[in-house]
Amino acid sequence: MAQPNASPGLWTLAWRRLKRDRVGMVSLAVVVAYLCVVFLALGGWIAKDWTREVGVNYAPPVFFPDDQDETAIPLGKSVALPDQVDLYGLQDPLARQLEAIRARHPDDARSTPERRQLTLPLGGDKWGHDVLTKVIKGSETSILVGLIAAILATVLGTVMGAVSGYFGRWVDDFFNWLYGVFTSIPYLLLIFAIAAVLQQKGVSTIILILGLTGWTGVFRLVRAEYLKHKSREYVLAAGAMGASHARRMFIHILPNTSHVILVQLSQNVVGFIKSEVILSFLGFGVPVDVVSWGSMLNEAQNELILGKWWQLAAAGTAMAILVTAFSLLTDALRDALDPKLKY
Amino acid sequence: MNLGAFLIRRLWQMIPTLLGVVLLVFFLFNWVGGDPAYILAGKMANPDDIANIRHQLGIDRPLWEQLLIFVQQIVTGDFGNSWATQEPVSAIFRTRLGPSLILLIPMMLLETAVAVAVALAVSAWRGSTLDRSLMAVSTVMMSISLLVYIIVGQYVFAYLLGWFPVKGWSDEFWRNLTTYAVLPVLLGLMVSIAPSVRLYRTFVLDEIGQDYVRTARAKGLSETRVLLVHVLRNAAIPIVTNVLMGLPALLTGAFLLERFFAIPGIGREIILAVERSDFPIIKAATVYVAMATMLANLLGDLLYHWLDPRVHLE
Amino acid sequence: MPGMINHMGRLLFILVLAVPLAGFAAAPEKVLHLALSAAETGFDPVMTSDLNTASIEQQLFESLLTYDYLARPARLVPRLAADMPTVTDHGRTWVFRLKHGVYFAPDPVFKGARREAVAQDVIYTLMRFMDPKNRSPYKFLVEGKIIGLDELAEAARRSGHFDYDAKIPGLEALDRYTLRVRLKTTDYNFAHAMAQPMYGIVAREVIEAYAGDTASHPVGTGPYHLARWVRSARMVLERNPYFRHETWNFEPGDDPDNRRIAALMRGKTIPQIDRIDIQVIEEPQSVWLSFGKGELDMVGLAGQFAPLALQGDHLRPKYAARGIRLDRISDPSIAYYFINQQDPVLGGMSPEKIALRRAIFMAQNDEEMIRVIDKGQAIRNAYPIPAGVAGADPGYRSVLDYNPELANRLLDQTGYARGPDGYRRMPDGSPLAVRYTSSLSSQDRELDEMMKKALDRLSIRFESEKLKFPEILKAERQCHVQIRLSAWIADYPDGDNFMQLWYGPHTHENNASCYQDPQWDRLYERTLTVPDSPERNALYHQLARMLELKGVTKVSTTHIRNVLSQPWVLGFKPHPILPSVWAYLDIDTARAPRE
Repeated sequence: MAQPNASPGLWTLAWRRLKRDRVGMVSLAVVVAYLCVVFLALGGWIAKDWTREVGVNYAPPVFFPDDQDETAIPLGKSVALPDQVDLYGLQDPLARQLEAIRARHPDDARSTPERRQLTLPLGGDKWGHDVLTKVIKGSETSILVGLIAAILATVLGTVMGAVSGYFGRWVDDFFNWLYGVFTSIPYLLLIFAIAAVLQQKGVSTIILILGLTGWTGVFRLVRAEYLKHKSREYVLAAGAMGASHARRMFIHILPNTSHVILVQLSQNVVGFIKSEVILSFLGFGVPVDVVSWGSMLNEAQNELILGKWWQLAAAGTAMAILVTAFSLLTDALRDALDPKLKY
Repeated sequence: MNLGAFLIRRLWQMIPTLLGVVLLVFFLFNWVGGDPAYILAGKMANPDDIANIRHQLGIDRPLWEQLLIFVQQIVTGDFGNSWATQEPVSAIFRTRLGPSLILLIPMMLLETAVAVAVALAVSAWRGSTLDRSLMAVSTVMMSISLLVYIIVGQYVFAYLLGWFPVKGWSDEFWRNLTTYAVLPVLLGLMVSIAPSVRLYRTFVLDEIGQDYVRTARAKGLSETRVLLVHVLRNAAIPIVTNVLMGLPALLTGAFLLERFFAIPGIGREIILAVERSDFPIIKAATVYVAMATMLANLLGDLLYHWLDPRVHLE
Repeated sequence: MPGMINHMGRLLFILVLAVPLAGFAAAPEKVLHLALSAAETGFDPVMTSDLNTASIEQQLFESLLTYDYLARPARLVPRLAADMPTVTDHGRTWVFRLKHGVYFAPDPVFKGARREAVAQDVIYTLMRFMDPKNRSPYKFLVEGKIIGLDELAEAARRSGHFDYDAKIPGLEALDRYTLRVRLKTTDYNFAHAMAQPMYGIVAREVIEAYAGDTASHPVGTGPYHLARWVRSARMVLERNPYFRHETWNFEPGDDPDNRRIAALMRGKTIPQIDRIDIQVIEEPQSVWLSFGKGELDMVGLAGQFAPLALQGDHLRPKYAARGIRLDRISDPSIAYYFINQQDPVLGGMSPEKIALRRAIFMAQNDEEMIRVIDKGQAIRNAYPIPAGVAGADPGYRSVLDYNPELANRLLDQTGYARGPDGYRRMPDGSPLAVRYTSSLSSQDRELDEMMKKALDRLSIRFESEKLKFPEILKAERQCHVQIRLSAWIADYPDGDNFMQLWYGPHTHENNASCYQDPQWDRLYERTLTVPDSPERNALYHQLARMLELKGVTKVSTTHIRNVLSQPWVLGFKPHPILPSVWAYLDIDTARAPRE
């Protein structure tokens, strides 16, 4: 085989180098820990009932019980029934149905007041949701959004970059044009426009917005790699042996550019997790039955000056730790994967 | 390739890109961008009023006709008046550009200066504790959301400590620069410095590995001199182009700072325009920023060539 | 020529005073710093409709009438008119006499001359509302009312040119200062229309000189003129040098707070404040922190920040100790849920559809909304007409109060059985989901959460539709919205301004529930022929009850307006209708921080 494809060696070497990098390993451990949390939350083993209102409104964290001036919720207030008020001579169109209900339930049922916690491990939000549970559930959403969107963007960027760099000529011109268009439109307007097209249909919208706007960086690098590689000997040889274009592009060249792609992917995850916060600020966040770090930070936006800092702190810290670890891991990966870099 | 031919070719290439931008924005916003007539008509408007407004704004015409008008507007540079306030669009951008620049240019200069200094420092002591801890700190810094920086920063530094005004903008350049822009600029730097440090560090390390550095060291030049004169001169090329190409994106990217600190900049204006479906402003913003981006890229390439004639213009 | 004499006299007075004063240091400038929560939309009153812009126009332009600063409930008083109009012919003929010696603020169009506002200007101003070119959002206050005006508008629609020189029987200048308006039918609310800030008088030559850009050249007769405008960012108002001499002499009555204000302000010249510096600040955190630091002189305290400054109904001691004042009134507004009566899922008058709608309304926990979202700064109000507006009934009891048990039983009774997934289905077994429409703002996200909780209580599937505000309006007008929480604030303090929200012919206009019920419409039309009286109130009660019984709407809350002012702001009292009262305030320069 005339192909100097060093992939297996590259990956083994990279792993050996990574293992020697203490910071890299710690970051890896942190990232893996977060992924475990995501996995557990996804499976419904933890943080399943984050929507339950377990505490009083703005319950403070246990380690910081403050001077409560919101009182517990009064429940079971009496309400008027249609036949107890003046109908001003009008006929109730539901008189018959209400009569039947009255016959079946002569006692006027009242809900019993619920018991709610005065403090929660990391405090509660305005409804009394447990912030700890929310952060965990939010990690699931934010990390999944970041990961899937990054994979989407990377796949898009890689395929376009590969095709563009490999075929060159008018194909390259076309994708370069597309790249030019996407990078020239103000990012803010691009988000608004794509968001408007997609409507608000849940988490998938955010993933699409991020994926469709985020492919350009990958494209540029992958295209450059393919430009470099397509005239290398091993590719020409594969071509001479009758390998199809697709085979040459994705079986022969792709493994040799994979380190570039992996680093880009990892960078995109970090970038997208942060972008989700800004999307939430602009109103394109997750729907109300989903919680994410972005939705928490935006909720907490007005809470700080009210002295309810715990949601801001919890979501901000959870996010900062993951993003830091992921960024350091990206650096470590880059160092481990790129043998040319000796520093 | 000679410079003139290069310039002409690049400028010529801008036309299809701009056309793509125009088409994309036009169709996206026309298709889904909302109908401003309903908000302009007020709360008691009847269908006739709506039709009247749509007619006056020209949005009842066929799409191709509207597109033609758009292209005409780009060629003449006159985007008409804002639908929401009747103010000429050009006047809006004229008044918004100043505040945006007062915010962005200091931010860019400080960011570059600090990032280059740190990058040089950590490269000089690469692999040391200083290098590692500075890199770690910068990673942590950029891991915190800008939104959190702004919320906490405004609360702590402007309100609790009273070091800066909470918000505001005046008519005087110096007052804006030295009073109102300070805190937003510093908060913006918190997130923007770290990526630059990391990037510039790689630029500097790229240069340090070059032969000429070894030669310079061999000649017995001091390490400081090698770094500051030889390495920096060469690393400056990618750094300057990087800064230049990042500028147009910054123009619209500072909307969070502009909103929280009540700075009348471009980003905030765009959000307002989208909220009101003020299409003339959206169109103008797109075209202006797209052109600025493309020109910045061209300028970056030229600069690259000028600083390092080895680089070929293609 | 009393106006002339008055003018000469004042000039002499100024000259006499100017000499000795020149030797002293100038009195410190009085500046009022304010914030707007959303951007203004330009200052041609005929084209504007939002409250933020109206608050500024109120100071730049003057309408014929206005509301007394202190009297509650709000009472009409003359502004540009010399006295209240004479109304004859069963409310069909109105004669307004204008004040003499009222001048427009200086503008290059006047070429240095003083331009007096006269009856012809009022006619021109009213005509402008019907000019199709101006697409006025407030033309509904004159549309279909003034004899001859609609015909003029119709002619303009055909010819593309509005004939401002036409003489119409409905608008006649009897002399330089007297205007007679003749209406087609009885309209007891016409006086309220003439008190709207949008109906401030403009000068024809100014409008024509700045045609196409009238929004940035407001020239009125008000106490202030626009000295500087940075669009959607900053507006600076300065005293109108030609403003007539007016003194602060509102009648305080017995109210102790009014007496305190009158003692501070009585006899002072209007306006006292030299400059009003207004900035647009969207983020509530920035507004609040600015006020806390003294960068703003007055702020409206958004509900979500109420716990910051309020303890119960009172100012927290730490702010009271700084001399900060809290003024609170209940807004003449309602927040109301409506359901589109033409919706294929929720609309219809069969008992099970009515039951479904009423169940959805009964699942809305208003008390929780007040506590959690409004932070206590709202009151439960089930009546379509809020307090402070003619026809209000604070004692009204709703049949749609929060009662999830009854709501669920009603659904059980009418055949909405729960499917295998736990969610209810339509009586015919088809799936049921309710789509709630709201905007992208973070406040609306809280409302989404409220609605989701309400529907969860009923085991009805919740769907969310997020639209930009103009899109919501469009969907409402086209009867595409299923259910939404909407709000209405009084243009003028009369119940009709609220009840018209459900009038059948207003479908595709502002009857967002698209409710078309001949029985209701006939009753409503009867209210138009009676002035404010127990007779009209009885009709209003029937109208309100019918909206509930048929599951059209549920009026939920009325907001409380909290205004905080710094200790150096003198004479402030919140007004339920006037969008701004800055000309009636003063600043204690001894206490105010220096620039």
